[in-house]
Amino acid sequence: MAENGAKATVTLTIDGVEVTVPSGTRVIEAAEHVGVVVPRYCYHPGIPTRPAQCRMCLVEVEGRPKLEPSCTLQAADDMVVNTASDTARTARQSVIEFLLVNHPLDCPICDAAGQCMLQDYAYVTNQLESRVDEPKRIMGRDRISDDILYFADRCVICTRCVRFMRDVAEDDSLIVAQRGDKAYIDTFPGRELDNPFQGNIVDVCPVGALVHEDFVFKARSWDMDATASVCPGCPTGCNVTIDTKENQIVRVKPRHNAAVNSWWMCDYGRKHLVMTNRGVRAEVPLIRDGGGDGDDGGELRPVDWATALDWVAEKVAALGAPGGSAVVSPDASNENLFYLRTLLDRLGVADAAFRVPQGETAELPTVPTLKLRADRAANAAGAGFFGGRRADGPPDGPAGGALVVLDDELEGAGEDFGGSADFFLYLGTRLPGPARNADAVLPIATFAEMDGTFTNFENRVQRFHQALRPPGLARPGWMVLSRVLARLGDGEAVNDVRGAFERMAAQAPAFAGLTWDGIGLKGAPAAGSAAEAAGVAGPAEAGA
Amino acid sequence: MSRRIHPAVVGAQPFQLTARERFDGPIFETEEGKHRLEAALSRYPTKQAALLPMLGFVQSVKGWIEPADMVEVAEALDLTPAYVHSIATFYTMYNKHPVGRHFVQVCTNISCHLNRAEEVLHRFLAETGTREGEISDDGEFTVIEAECLGACGFATVVQVNDRYLEDVTPDRVPGIVENLRGGRDP
Repeated sequence: MAENGAKATVTLTIDGVEVTVPSGTRVIEAAEHVGVVVPRYCYHPGIPTRPAQCRMCLVEVEGRPKLEPSCTLQAADDMVVNTASDTARTARQSVIEFLLVNHPLDCPICDAAGQCMLQDYAYVTNQLESRVDEPKRIMGRDRISDDILYFADRCVICTRCVRFMRDVAEDDSLIVAQRGDKAYIDTFPGRELDNPFQGNIVDVCPVGALVHEDFVFKARSWDMDATASVCPGCPTGCNVTIDTKENQIVRVKPRHNAAVNSWWMCDYGRKHLVMTNRGVRAEVPLIRDGGGDGDDGGELRPVDWATALDWVAEKVAALGAPGGSAVVSPDASNENLFYLRTLLDRLGVADAAFRVPQGETAELPTVPTLKLRADRAANAAGAGFFGGRRADGPPDGPAGGALVVLDDELEGAGEDFGGSADFFLYLGTRLPGPARNADAVLPIATFAEMDGTFTNFENRVQRFHQALRPPGLARPGWMVLSRVLARLGDGEAVNDVRGAFERMAAQAPAFAGLTWDGIGLKGAPAAGSAAEAAGVAGPAEAGA
Repeated sequence: MSRRIHPAVVGAQPFQLTARERFDGPIFETEEGKHRLEAALSRYPTKQAALLPMLGFVQSVKGWIEPADMVEVAEALDLTPAYVHSIATFYTMYNKHPVGRHFVQVCTNISCHLNRAEEVLHRFLAETGTREGEISDDGEFTVIEAECLGACGFATVVQVNDRYLEDVTPDRVPGIVENLRGGRDP
């Protein structure tokens, strides 16, 4: 019935539950439709090859004399599958027992403990005593690449890592050496892995055999908080999970999204995200109101938020619409950019330059949408939506009028940058030198410290969530800007990203029809193309 | 010295029969190497399939397969060195360590065991002055214990490089070693 039967679906029974799945579906996947996760090691949904070698997913099929590996067994009509029969469970228990013959049981110092499939399944088999008297085979530890360690004794030789490299990254440089109980994962002697996507082998490892060196002994799995986020490394916007401990990012893992990054992400993104822990941050609002020494001017002085916002709103109201210029960061969230655009329109500033650092590109051959792109910024598309203009070279201060900078590091800007502006407002996560010329500095949160959305290279709007507490008095940009605008009688101060997103969706055509909840954790395409949206500079009809 | 080899036996034909001296250097730049490679490639649908015969050829020429040889084979067959490494280490009969000029394998499986194979093995070790797997001081011998060599009707069987010696008794061992040392037929 397979080829010419033209049957689109098959109906089978798994653990007593009838389920209809597209024909060609494997039993292990069909089982997930009825909520049964068949134990597995070598099967990984993102890796095309199914060697059926770990023998963990064996299931009993009524009418067949032998157990069948459910990862390769095609679902068929009237098939009756039992994933937890005595025979299947006994077979699974035997596999676990064999795997534990040489396993060091070093869970107390293993980084995978708590998220380890060997640990989980071993507990399920409930065999508390080993029947093995012989000493264990000891192999030790190896370096697979500059930042990946291999603990051979923990390995179950599922070959997920080997097959990721060979079949997904198409880089046949990671292999199984030796055989039988002497088998281990290795590169060619004297060589290390050198692939921009090699970090994924750590994620596919079902046990603690492959570990990123910068994560070794850093955190126990139960001490970490996981937050759904989006990688800001490039416009691809890979969906990621950020693992944090004590307000630090300790690990980043890709989160599955078939439309963007499949199961994977690149190493650049991984490292880039962990690096966001570093650096000195702007933590307190600063204003140059001449406080204390009489007139306007003088030194920047730290103040509380109410004072800073009142003063900034006062200055903006006094300025009217003097025109001027703006520099925005292509790493800013859509909400930040939207509120900034609303403020810029009020000031009569049309132009908002953004500069995108460039880097090397890298492709994962089998996943066309996943690519480390040359633009090293998360939200250049979003910046384009809100009247941003892509610029090269260092920013130069305007001759007059207002100057607003949103989180640009102002690299290459002159000593006296912004000196001739009537009013220089700097909103930033950090405080680079030229920003000290500002009349007001408002500290804002990084993307990891707030909720928000980015627009990726194909105009897909994707949500990220707050993983860290912002330092000091830093707050999300949309929260700060909505308060400046509220003081000017434009809208309300928002505390929740939903409020910010709702206003953006109502006023910015690119986001029309989108809702925060509707976007969900997988993102949704923005209305219209980037080119179309670029013409729609900003929400001029903003209720002022 | 290059003999034309039919592709059907390219993986099985030993080279040691003609090569008394071990070869060192890039193998596939030699006349014989080029010919072997060409013959193997003509026999199989893919280049990858020629890997085992080519590793066997390297071993027959050099006695063992070192990482540099794996790189050379990989380049000749459009494979990665890592893949060649995995195959070479999977099969235990590829030597990954250097051996003496005469690689002596003494079978100790059932038939041979019943015919005093252990004694033969120990006699070989004593005559060559080595421990199992070592290279003798003069570089002539490496002696190891082997699993069944498939000549159970002629136990004890000893394989020296590619040559089978049948019905070996402990008493014959000194003569064999002496002959090999002298470059004569064992």
